Amino acid sequence: MGMFDSLRQLRREPAARVPSVRPGTPLFDDDFQRKLETLAIVSRRVFAGRMRAERRSKKKGSGVEFADHRDYAPGDDFRFVDWNVYQRFGKLLVRLYEEEEDLQISFIVDCSASMGFGTGKKFDQARRLAAALAYVGLANLDRVAAYGVSDELVAEMPPTRGRARIFKVFRFLTDLTPGGVTNLADAIGVVAARQKRRGLVVLFSDLYDPNGFERGINVLRYNKLEPYVVHVTDTADARPALRGDVHLYDVETGDEREVTVTDALLARMETAYAEYLADVERFCVKNQVPYFNADVSVPFDELVLRVFRRGGFLR
Amino acid sequence: MTFLGLSAAALGATFAVAGGATVALYILKLRRRPIAVPFSPIWQRVLRDKDASQLFSRLKNLLSLLLQLVLLGLIVFALGDPRPAAGAAEGRSIVVLVDTSASMQSIDVTPTRLDVAKQKVHELVSGLGIADRMLVAKMDASTVPLSTMTSEPVELGDALGKIVATDTRADFASGLAFALDVLRGAKRPEIIVVSDGDLDAETAAKGLDLAGTPVRLVPVGKGGKNVAITAFSVRRYPLDVSRYEVLLEVTNTTDVPAEVELSLLGDGNVVDVSRLSLKANERLPRVYADLGGASKMLEARIRLADGTRDTLPADDRAYALMPERRRARVQVVSRGNTYLDAALLLDEYLDVTTTRPDAYREDAPFDVTIFDAVAKPLPSKGGSLFLAPPADGSPVKVGKAVTDFGFDTWDRKSPLLRFMAVDNVQASRGNVFVPDKADHIVGASELGPILVSGSREGHPFVALGFDPRDSDLVLRVAWPLFVLNVIHSFVEDDASYLSAYRTGTPWHVPAPSDASVAWVRYPNGESHEVPIKEGRAVLFGEHAGFYELHVGAESAPPSFFAANLSDDAESHVTPKTELHLPGAKSSPDEGFHAGIRRELWVYFVMAAIALSAFEWFAYHRRVTV
Repeated sequence: MGMFDSLRQLRREPAARVPSVRPGTPLFDDDFQRKLETLAIVSRRVFAGRMRAERRSKKKGSGVEFADHRDYAPGDDFRFVDWNVYQRFGKLLVRLYEEEEDLQISFIVDCSASMGFGTGKKFDQARRLAAALAYVGLANLDRVAAYGVSDELVAEMPPTRGRARIFKVFRFLTDLTPGGVTNLADAIGVVAARQKRRGLVVLFSDLYDPNGFERGINVLRYNKLEPYVVHVTDTADARPALRGDVHLYDVETGDEREVTVTDALLARMETAYAEYLADVERFCVKNQVPYFNADVSVPFDELVLRVFRRGGFLR
Repeated sequence: MTFLGLSAAALGATFAVAGGATVALYILKLRRRPIAVPFSPIWQRVLRDKDASQLFSRLKNLLSLLLQLVLLGLIVFALGDPRPAAGAAEGRSIVVLVDTSASMQSIDVTPTRLDVAKQKVHELVSGLGIADRMLVAKMDASTVPLSTMTSEPVELGDALGKIVATDTRADFASGLAFALDVLRGAKRPEIIVVSDGDLDAETAAKGLDLAGTPVRLVPVGKGGKNVAITAFSVRRYPLDVSRYEVLLEVTNTTDVPAEVELSLLGDGNVVDVSRLSLKANERLPRVYADLGGASKMLEARIRLADGTRDTLPADDRAYALMPERRRARVQVVSRGNTYLDAALLLDEYLDVTTTRPDAYREDAPFDVTIFDAVAKPLPSKGGSLFLAPPADGSPVKVGKAVTDFGFDTWDRKSPLLRFMAVDNVQASRGNVFVPDKADHIVGASELGPILVSGSREGHPFVALGFDPRDSDLVLRVAWPLFVLNVIHSFVEDDASYLSAYRTGTPWHVPAPSDASVAWVRYPNGESHEVPIKEGRAVLFGEHAGFYELHVGAESAPPSFFAANLSDDAESHVTPKTELHLPGAKSSPDEGFHAGIRRELWVYFVMAAIALSAFEWFAYHRRVTV
């Protein structure tokens, strides 16, 4: 190894160069929490729930709203036999009622190093959005679980319900720190395996997955979960404040590249970034996965109260 | 091409070392700043096209290195001070004599003739050839070189910066002689005189060999109206020292009549203002008689009556200092002499002490001791007047006795006989003297010397060979005049007093003291130490005005003296455009073209700076990086 090789080694400090995210960042103030109380989560599908709640479930049971008939089978409760139908058609049918059930909502927060890049705005944005939605879910008696992922499951908050548990969610999110490589497929695969019940899964990520963002989303789809993608973006990623001869390295993978940054190159970078965002959105639309772009430049209040409502995520 | 700076070998070594360092630094410079990015695949997507231009980028990096090496080469080459070989063969040797006489203070050109002269010399320096050398000297009453014979514009420029005008006449003869001495043996010699031209060139060239040396005049000035004070002096009346008279001469040096307002000031206060009309080229003397007052410093000022300024302000003022009158301490060693007492009463500035001969002491502190028919040892201080000294003890040998005699011959220029008529003085008896060789016979009868002055062991004396009471001298006005003349000669209140010195000449200012140095404060406030030789401070004055003289120590009480330009020739401000020097070659008048620099290193440095600026521009535009 020559002298200059030694010099080159000195500049590889990717881990140390990742900007740290401010610890203990206040996620919500009281005023914002009061606003969120008026929101409720709208689910486009009805899932089976363990407890009665404010959502319709596929499960037929002891609800009050008629759902359907099915053939009587030995062992069925006689109280649900529809005698009127038996009188008219001579067939034993059992009345099925829709049962009010609770909904499980899982929040997956990308904790890879790229989320904490720069000033950590993306990571803060993701955590605040997750906390806001979790609050709404808990307020509507839904079951809420949260996960932190990078290339593996790095943190987990088991499903819980009740508005009072929101502080547990806040604490969980606050304790998350960015770091590591992104591998959504593997990490979400672990999360999906732990899902005992189907439900909503909201993914907060910048989708900077070297293996392809599609794999992670597909894992959710293939496990019969209903994915929502909240794509956290930062325009600074598209047009970084760089000039001149630089040695670029990936904050997660450490991949290196020498490049001379010019205005033309920055323009091409901006275009490529826009194409990347378009690819993500195109994929989600194609696969009927709700997609929301949560740019850090959009004020948080506006994002939660306006964009999410317009997107049908909140009612 | 020759190198006047570092040698070619030294330049090569310098370039090798500095070039190696540059390459090493360049390699270090290639260490790029490590920058983290959140997601490199997007960059890779962008940079796929960039790879195609990789070779071009390397070429640009190489271009950057080459640019730096070229910069280095230019600077190293400049260090060598390269000169074209052809130009170094034979250059001119030029002596520039810049006239700094009083007339160069004329304001007929803006701001002054001297400033214009300096500018013209600057142009000459800028236009020097590659191998030309030049020496700059100022020329007024004396000629002083201000630089070496050099080709360095900086040194020549510094020399020009030292040039200031003086209130003296230009001594062109000494300037020309100096220039010829400097150029003796030089190839292609040349003398350039930057002057307003009133130099009396024909007189100056006498005795000088100008055959091989061209002399060129660079004329300055355009002329104008000028009126000058060409004489100004003051004296006290001998018999009434409280009063004085002033002599003043005003000269119109131009061909048109002039009206001037003349002001006389005493110690800064206006004493008299008058209006004078002068015809063309008229010299108008004016005497202010019987003036009184305690003023010591007199100043005369003139200005044109129409309120405009004349061409040369320097000769519009003149200065004079009233003779200092101090009380003289006189000791009379006598058995009684009414005539002598009466004569001493005439001067109120005398402190007279009468001592009997047996009470005389040599070390008594008197300025003058008068021995009346008494011969005693000379006093340790001051001068002595012996009246009919006895043979025993007389400082001058007493000769034979004579009768019925008078002054048949006398030194008419002697201050002892000033204002006196002694041709018909008759004495009934007395003695002639047998003076030493060094003694001065002031007066003599046909029988021998009867009035002698001299000095014994540094003590001056005057001896009269007869008792005045044995003559009709005591009945004449000449008697008190003689006594007072003798006293004044001993206390320096004599005719040698100058109310103002003339600038441009050596001054010997009385400095009665045992000290060997004195400090002179000039009119411009500067103070310089000057030597004292034989009781006089010696200096060469160049500026008009009042001077302070501190004898012995800079903090000593000052005495004053004045100096004036008073030079009719300098006041003639009409410039000359030609020099008529017998025997001199004609003016070359070629080879000075401003803007042509001889130092090639300047251009190399300029090129390096330009390239550096380009590199800076290119770097910040990311052209070469």
